[in-house]
Amino acid sequence: MSILYFIPAQWLPLIESGFYALIFPGFVTILLLAFFIIWFERKAAARVQMRYGPLWVSRKTGGLIQLLADMIRFSFQEFIVPEGVDFLPFIFLPGFLLAFAVLPTIFIPIGPDYARIFPSSYTLLLASAFTLVIPIYLIVVGWAADNKFSFIGALREGYLLISYEVPYLLVIASAFLLYRTLDLVKIVNIQAASVPGIILNPVAAIVYLLVVIRSTGRVPYDIVEADSELIFGPYTEYSSLMFGFVMGVPYIELYGYSLLFATLFLGGWIPLTGAGFVGGLIIPGIVTFVKAVLVMCLLVFLRAVYPRYKLDKAIKTGWTWVLYLAFVSLLISAFVSYLI
Amino acid sequence: MLAETPHAQKLGLALGGSASVTEDQKAGLIEVRVEPKFLMDVSKKLKELGFDHCVSVTAVDYPRENYMDVIWHVSSYSNEELGNKLVSLTVRISRDEPRVGSLVGVWESSLFSERETHEMFGVEFEGHPDLRPLLLPEELLGKWPLRKDFILPKRRSDLFRKGGAQP
Amino acid sequence: MSNITTAPFTYESLSQLTMKEGVLELQVGPAHAGSGHMRILVWVEGDTVVKVDPDIGFVHRGVEKLSEDRLYVKAIPIVERPNLVDTVNANLGYIIALEKLLGLEAPPRAQYIRVITAEISRIISHLYGIAIYGIFMGSSTVFMWALADREPFIDIMEELTGARLTYSHIIPGGVRWDLPKDFGERLEVALKYLEGRVSDYEKIWMNNPVVRARAEGVGILSGAKATELGVVGPNLRASGVKCDVRKCAPYSVYSDFDFDVPTFKEGDSYARLLIRVEEIKQSISILRQALKNIPEGKIIYEDYYKRMTPLMKSIYDEKGRVKFTSLLTSLSPPKGQSFSRVEGGRGEIFFYLISDGTKNPYRFRVVTPSFRNLPYFTHVMPGHKLADVPVIYGSIDYFPPEADRR
Repeated sequence: MSILYFIPAQWLPLIESGFYALIFPGFVTILLLAFFIIWFERKAAARVQMRYGPLWVSRKTGGLIQLLADMIRFSFQEFIVPEGVDFLPFIFLPGFLLAFAVLPTIFIPIGPDYARIFPSSYTLLLASAFTLVIPIYLIVVGWAADNKFSFIGALREGYLLISYEVPYLLVIASAFLLYRTLDLVKIVNIQAASVPGIILNPVAAIVYLLVVIRSTGRVPYDIVEADSELIFGPYTEYSSLMFGFVMGVPYIELYGYSLLFATLFLGGWIPLTGAGFVGGLIIPGIVTFVKAVLVMCLLVFLRAVYPRYKLDKAIKTGWTWVLYLAFVSLLISAFVSYLI
Repeated sequence: MLAETPHAQKLGLALGGSASVTEDQKAGLIEVRVEPKFLMDVSKKLKELGFDHCVSVTAVDYPRENYMDVIWHVSSYSNEELGNKLVSLTVRISRDEPRVGSLVGVWESSLFSERETHEMFGVEFEGHPDLRPLLLPEELLGKWPLRKDFILPKRRSDLFRKGGAQP
Repeated sequence: MSNITTAPFTYESLSQLTMKEGVLELQVGPAHAGSGHMRILVWVEGDTVVKVDPDIGFVHRGVEKLSEDRLYVKAIPIVERPNLVDTVNANLGYIIALEKLLGLEAPPRAQYIRVITAEISRIISHLYGIAIYGIFMGSSTVFMWALADREPFIDIMEELTGARLTYSHIIPGGVRWDLPKDFGERLEVALKYLEGRVSDYEKIWMNNPVVRARAEGVGILSGAKATELGVVGPNLRASGVKCDVRKCAPYSVYSDFDFDVPTFKEGDSYARLLIRVEEIKQSISILRQALKNIPEGKIIYEDYYKRMTPLMKSIYDEKGRVKFTSLLTSLSPPKGQSFSRVEGGRGEIFFYLISDGTKNPYRFRVVTPSFRNLPYFTHVMPGHKLADVPVIYGSIDYFPPEADRR
């Protein structure tokens, strides 16, 4: 408290929310986590594939800062803007993508005293709404790049977006039905009083994970980027640092989705709780964070197991089984919410 | 070496008088030589006999005698007895006007090989649906590189051997 | 020279193929993750492929002309280059044709060594095919696994020949090196390892639900159509046509071996994957039989041995290593023609030689299996979805340098 003594009291909320948005669990954490998760993905896949994976950039940590080396290399590459692209969208959309990938994390409480940051009882709605913005930008990128492969990638994104967004919204609805609130803090408190959401409604958790794999383009749903078919989907024309950005966006998206998953289904900061900025937000937040990272690790590991799924089959699955499961999860939610 | 073996006689009888059938015993190759005008009939008969696919289409250039042999090598998948035979269907055409009927209508499998033979030798396959160049780069088109009068530039090693002085 | 004109090779002449509005032309390759050294022109209507035109020749080097310009032995490394992952079979095919022309036959031990190396090469080729199939379907795991599992065999071949891929091991009249002493044990270790790995592949790859969803029923080519199009090798047998040159027109000493020719009647991409695994199993069996039954004796044609200098003979006796005699380097077969058909990893490799009695071949014709598998692009891909193009491409184990005769 000694440091805070010198700071005027009316600045404190600002500093706290700034810390929340920029440092933990916000921007800086996200960047560091992107390092870790990309490293983990490559290292885990390498382990399965009888390789070393990243190794030589900082040998002691097993190549942990490989991405930094990659980023430095990207930053020295020429950024090529092909003729015929829509210049402004082409240049600015990666930045927008990055920003909108980071945004949802602000609306997800990682500790019980989240009201200090953003007193809202609609956080579930806000967080899920902001996760849904990115695909629209992706489609715009695909159109702006003036490349047939980008265009096809954007079309694929559009098809998949629609066929998997409906189950996603149904899962959000079933979460609402289950907890009868849109306030994520209350949702976690309900889970603390009973059991974690994944036990209350496992079907909703499964559908949620499927949709996350789809929206973030993890294998087997990397249909939009499909390198042997579309080179790099909507991002085909990006080079240098822009390529680095668009490559990192899915991981940041994944982080937002995973935090939401952790609060919705894994009980957030349970078993810790507390009050105040540090005791009620940061320290319980670490528990939420670790749960989210575990979910991310699980999802990126799928790369080592599965090949790519096919567009038409993925759409069919989206409109049939995933949708059916989403409806089932609604029913389960209604039933369980009647019980508790 | 070329002989009228039983196989060859049998095949010759089946193909009728328009083709001369011999067997190169050393190579194990049954040679069917036809005039260009009988080519289509003979190839259809060969297909009816069970030679159902074309292994290779090629030509052999004889600039001194001023003719070219266009050769279809055919064999059989469906007939086990014919599976170990290879029949070469040879047509001798003039080098000045290398035209011959295309057999894509008989053996669809000869499509790409005939395209290749066309660009390599300049043999015009009449009735071929798609005689676009296949393998060659643009600067070699129309030079018919597999003909004998297309001389390869001498190799560096040869140049050095004759000059003798350079390392 | 001739009054025949060729349509100019321009982009416009290709794009005339675009048939109607709403059809998008995609140039897959030559710089594309899913093409290899070739360009596949794909016309899609919506997501459905309506026409495919393989534009090959990007790595054409003119193997035939180069060989016609060289001595007979100098063609050995040239014919190896196109089939880079399956060099032994190409080498073997050429040597069989040349030996027929020369009228000689290699001694039995040399023939057995040829079969052993050819089967190892087939295993390497099939593993490579599975690897490429894996990466085309987006699974880096199978890509890495299959490429890594080639290594024990490549190491064995390296010990035998001194090279990793281009062995040039088979020469007219025999082979260049005898098997090392511990060859049998080392090969057995590698075979045991591979057998274990094949069951791993079955777990993670063949029984993977996503693989089955993508490959089953995709790229079906019926047996009758396959025969008509003249496709070769495992792809042909996956369509139910039981034709393996090793069985139907045996060469070398393959008639001594007891092995099956696996066939599948489905003819889809999944069957083309399975048949490669089945053939690996058959190759393992052939290799075991060969190691058991390999006779003692010379590894070079008797007459050639007699003509060696005493120094060469002593090297041969000590190290089992054949030095190139002057006779080998100046072969001039009698006038005539010969051909050979061998079953390479990807299918039948065909050689046709014409000799005019000089030291260079008068006509040298080679048809490689990938070239004959080209109809898969034009006849099988149309009608499928765009995402099926790499699946079919990967399943036929198409190798552009081989089709181009690099």
